[in-house]
Amino acid sequence: MAVSIRRAATDPMTPALLCAGGVLAAALGSSEVLAWMGLGGLAGYALSGSV
Amino acid sequence: MVGGALSATVAWVAAGVLGWVPRPLRIATLVIIGLVVVARELQLIHVKLPANHRQVPQEIFEKGPYWSALQFGFELGTGIRTYLPSAIPYLLLAAIVLLQASFQVALVAGACFGLGRAAMAWSRTASQDSGSWDLSLRDRLRVIQSLAAVASLVACATLFIG
Repeated sequence: MAVSIRRAATDPMTPALLCAGGVLAAALGSSEVLAWMGLGGLAGYALSGSV
Repeated sequence: MVGGALSATVAWVAAGVLGWVPRPLRIATLVIIGLVVVARELQLIHVKLPANHRQVPQEIFEKGPYWSALQFGFELGTGIRTYLPSAIPYLLLAAIVLLQASFQVALVAGACFGLGRAAMAWSRTASQDSGSWDLSLRDRLRVIQSLAAVASLVACATLFIG
């Protein structure tokens, strides 16, 4: 159980889904600062795999 | 976060310099950049983007674990000394410049860019199986980048309208 929770929480898709969902909810909900935060997070996470 | 905030500050200065450009022209430019970025991430077109193609040098690790980690994290956060497998950072940069983001907003977006970069390392370490995590990322990176591009474009559109 703990292993599967960790696996889901650390899945590479998880931050992308959270960020994309957050940015869309913030943008549609007129929360400008949160939308900018999500935009920044998505841009940074999209570079995953590159150091 | 500090590295990302620094890059965003530079973008904010550029936004001030381009303040004389009429808003309709800035918005049209952002729309074009946004559509190109999304098409590129969906692999509909092939566009080669300007990139540094230089990674953070190995020599920084001679400075000891504390300073080398600090410098590595800072340089990683700037998004400058790295390969760019995705065009989405260009969309963020264009949005800050062309939507004339305020300094506070640019700073927050830049810091979150750094957090986004760090999320990769945190998630990989927390998985306790970096080999499987790398394979999983390799399989899903295209989906992640496509999702991020579409969400970013929608967010830019709503920020413009709002």
